[in-house]
Amino acid sequence: MAYAYLFKYIIIGDTGVGKSCLLLQFTDKRFQPVHDLTIGVEFGARMITIDGKQIKLQIWDTAGQEAFRSITRSYYRGAAGALLVYDITRRETFNHLTTWLEDARQHSNSNMVIMLIGNKSDLDARREVKKEEGEVFAREHGLVFMETSAKLATNVEDAFINTAKEIYEKIQEGVFDITNEANGIKIGPQHSPNNPSLPAGPQGSSQGGGCC
Amino acid sequence: MEYFRSGLKSVLGTPPPGEQPSGAETIERLVERLKSSTLLDDRRDACRALKAMSRKYRVEVGAQGMDPICYILENDRADAEIVGYALDTLCNIIDPEIFPEEELPEGTSHRDINVGEQFTEIFIKNQENVALVLGYLEEFDFRVRWSAVKFLNGLLANRRKNIQDIVLVSPMGVSKLMDLLGDSREIIRNDALLLLISLTQANANIQKIVAFEMAFDRLFDVISEEGHADGGIVVEDCLRLMLNLLKNNISNQNFFKEGSYIQKLAQMFHLPDSDPNEGWSAQREANILTLLQVIRSLVTPGNPAQVVSSCQKVLHASGILGSLCTLLMTSGVPVGILTETINTVAEIIRGNHPNQEFFAMVNVSSDPPRQAIVVLLMSMMNQKQSYPLRCSVLYCFLCYLYRNETNQAKLIATLLPSATSIPSLTAGQLLCSGLFSSDSLSNWFCCVGLAHGLADNPAQKESLLKVLLCPRAGEPPVSLLKQSFLLLQQSIKVHSKLGVLMLLSTWLSHCPLAVQHFLNIPDTVPYLIAQAATIEHDENQELMQGLCAFVLGICVIFNDDSVLNLTKESLAQLILKRIGVDMFLDKLSEVSRHELYSRAAKRPQLDCDQVHEPVLDYEFCKLYKALEGPVSRCIAEKSGGTQNGGVGYSDSSLEQYTALISTQNKEIAELKAKQEALTEENRQYREKVDQLEQQARQLHEHNIVLRSQMNSGNNAASENNSNSAYPPPPPPPDNRDVMIRSLENEVQNLRLQVAYSSKNNAEVEMLRVQLYESDTKRKELDESLEKLQLDQDDLLEMLESREHKLEVYRNRLIQLGQQVDEEEAEINGTVF
Repeated sequence: MAYAYLFKYIIIGDTGVGKSCLLLQFTDKRFQPVHDLTIGVEFGARMITIDGKQIKLQIWDTAGQEAFRSITRSYYRGAAGALLVYDITRRETFNHLTTWLEDARQHSNSNMVIMLIGNKSDLDARREVKKEEGEVFAREHGLVFMETSAKLATNVEDAFINTAKEIYEKIQEGVFDITNEANGIKIGPQHSPNNPSLPAGPQGSSQGGGCC
Repeated sequence: MEYFRSGLKSVLGTPPPGEQPSGAETIERLVERLKSSTLLDDRRDACRALKAMSRKYRVEVGAQGMDPICYILENDRADAEIVGYALDTLCNIIDPEIFPEEELPEGTSHRDINVGEQFTEIFIKNQENVALVLGYLEEFDFRVRWSAVKFLNGLLANRRKNIQDIVLVSPMGVSKLMDLLGDSREIIRNDALLLLISLTQANANIQKIVAFEMAFDRLFDVISEEGHADGGIVVEDCLRLMLNLLKNNISNQNFFKEGSYIQKLAQMFHLPDSDPNEGWSAQREANILTLLQVIRSLVTPGNPAQVVSSCQKVLHASGILGSLCTLLMTSGVPVGILTETINTVAEIIRGNHPNQEFFAMVNVSSDPPRQAIVVLLMSMMNQKQSYPLRCSVLYCFLCYLYRNETNQAKLIATLLPSATSIPSLTAGQLLCSGLFSSDSLSNWFCCVGLAHGLADNPAQKESLLKVLLCPRAGEPPVSLLKQSFLLLQQSIKVHSKLGVLMLLSTWLSHCPLAVQHFLNIPDTVPYLIAQAATIEHDENQELMQGLCAFVLGICVIFNDDSVLNLTKESLAQLILKRIGVDMFLDKLSEVSRHELYSRAAKRPQLDCDQVHEPVLDYEFCKLYKALEGPVSRCIAEKSGGTQNGGVGYSDSSLEQYTALISTQNKEIAELKAKQEALTEENRQYREKVDQLEQQARQLHEHNIVLRSQMNSGNNAASENNSNSAYPPPPPPPDNRDVMIRSLENEVQNLRLQVAYSSKNNAEVEMLRVQLYESDTKRKELDESLEKLQLDQDDLLEMLESREHKLEVYRNRLIQLGQQVDEEEAEINGTVF
């Protein structure tokens, strides 16, 4: 598998804001309208390209329900990026952002890139949280902000890719300690000095499915 | 021991001469010291002594010392030594095993009271205690960390579920454990492995977190450090943990595949050639066996199809499938490994065409070279091979055929008479020869193998009918179908019979041509009926009898009536007469209620634990499940029909029926006439409705005209008078018939329309009133106009007389010599 870097992401936020849908849209390019409650944590992966380099994203989609909070906390530490999601049609999911952010900051490594996402932008008629409010919150807390629609695939790519770009820049700046894999970043096999000769096979291209 | 005794003496002081204190007393004093000593050294000594006594006097130490020891854990964390003793003591008192030196309380055996478990329960009652121990995992000091790991292992052994829950909710609990894998001290790393194996058992959430914490990377690092497949037991432990993480955990399987870990597994198959005389070491065997299980966990048929197929693809591409096939053909491989390798290959190729194709091309370098599948089938026929191995070969063969019409066709084609002579032994020939084997298990295997060659493939079912066999030289050839039936008839082994019955069920289902051939073989139906009608049976015969009934049922529902005496109807009647509906249904349901049936239906792989028990095949169970319903329904329906009519018809009943029929005929005629009359009536009503509709339309139009007239102020009321007559309401509808009823509806509609037009009439009336009013107004206006005209006339007259006067005056003025204004004269002239 030819990749320059591997980034680990987590997706967090209240239940029903569309975390799993964002992941599904990103990895499989499809939308599932029925809310299927995530139990614990689910895994997804995709390859992207940044600056001409192949980057593998491994994404852990967490359960938003309070009951799973202690389980999902275990995932903060090892993640390089987090997508913090709220639902623009439900004010309370926006109000809970502070709690989520505190939780994330407390349990994650300090360099973790957090992207704030206001999801369901297609439901503008039922909007309860203005875009400006999201922008202000993001600015106040030093987050990147974006409104997305997992249903219409609006900004979904960008949300994941911009997060990766941010991490990539931090690596270039030397902020991230990439030798410590516990930070959620791994250097690809062809970049590491002692590259074990892996059997080359067609799976290399097949798995790299949705590069942009 | 002497060392401890001296240690004890130093702690407790020399006992008074001649009086040895009992164990309980000593412990009491030690616990007291542990609680009350202000000096750390004293507490440490007491703790060390307690640890020494905790094996022999486990119950006393546990009962009295648990709380003070927990207190030590909480408050003496700065001293690694005392913490180490405390953890070791706890570790001893909760140990699930009995120590050889242990003194049990009188009158009890260890079986009655599981002391370790009870102390575990007491310890974890306070969750803080477990959190404390987890905290000590972060302590780098060897004594503390290692003791904590051992103690947690003990707790897990006794109360796994509770500990799992506590670890899950304690912050970074799993992460702390995972960090231990990176410990450079091997003993800690190895014990941590055991700890994680136990912790990850049957808990998907922990499994996922462990995987997230890069367990697979760590494990492959350890495996590589330890020398891959030829490494020690640590490699096996690593693979066991990997198996725990992957088994039934789809999320982790995806992660494993996406993280390219499958490719890392491939490296493990680079086995250095072992000395053929020496064979495999037991540890290598264990390592490879676990490795095979890890691979199977990714492609087991129970996983979602999408996960299975993507893993199959990677397993092929990474070269693992190739390595496994090589392993299959390598000599000196232990039979257990060989069996599991065959099972693994089976699941990697199952339903995956490229992989099945790859496997078909694998050859053994013998003289002449043979297909691997043929060589495997040969060992399946070999009675000397182990039963699990033979089962695994069959499983592999079935997976090779599964959802692959090409391979099915190839198998059947080798049996068909063809112009080109087949050079060597083929799979099909092997299977057919297996039908003649005296070994009942071979019969069974071959029947199931052949059945899978036909599964869901009507074309092959028909081609196989053409196959002729020569059982003995000099005898006329027999069709394979007949030969199968002969085997069913002649075999005395239940195993063989079940095999043939399954083959027949598969063959005949959905294939009327095969049913026709089968019914044309003499004795088939009587034999099956006789079997199915048997009341008494010994072990496992109920399965056989049930399957006979099933085959009969298949002959009924897939019967195209081409065999004269055994049409669908007559065969059904025969079954009802000879077996009876209740008994038939009973026999059928006995199969699906059978324990062996439910066991076989669980998974595609054969259940080969019981050597001598006959088994059913997974695919057959699916067929049975699908057809049991239709068969029982069909027979039950036939019985329903005959029960009403009785078997023979008497003359009187015949007459009765004739009478009944004639009356019914009359009734039908009457009803027909009635219906015609009603249709006519309906037509008339329809016409009327049309007329009425027309009128209504006219009225409506008139109304519009009237309104416009009204608006323009013209008087048109008199015209409306002619339209005030309405058509009479339709006659009340007759509700004898549905059609009438629909007509009624239409009439109803019409009435509504009429009502609407009457409303229009009211409007007309109103308009008329308004017209009248405006008329009177006009008259008034006319009168006033007349008056005004009169006034005007008067005024004109007056004006004229004045004019006249004015003229007189002017003339007089002119006469008087006064100059008269020309203009004035002219104006006057133009005005008048």
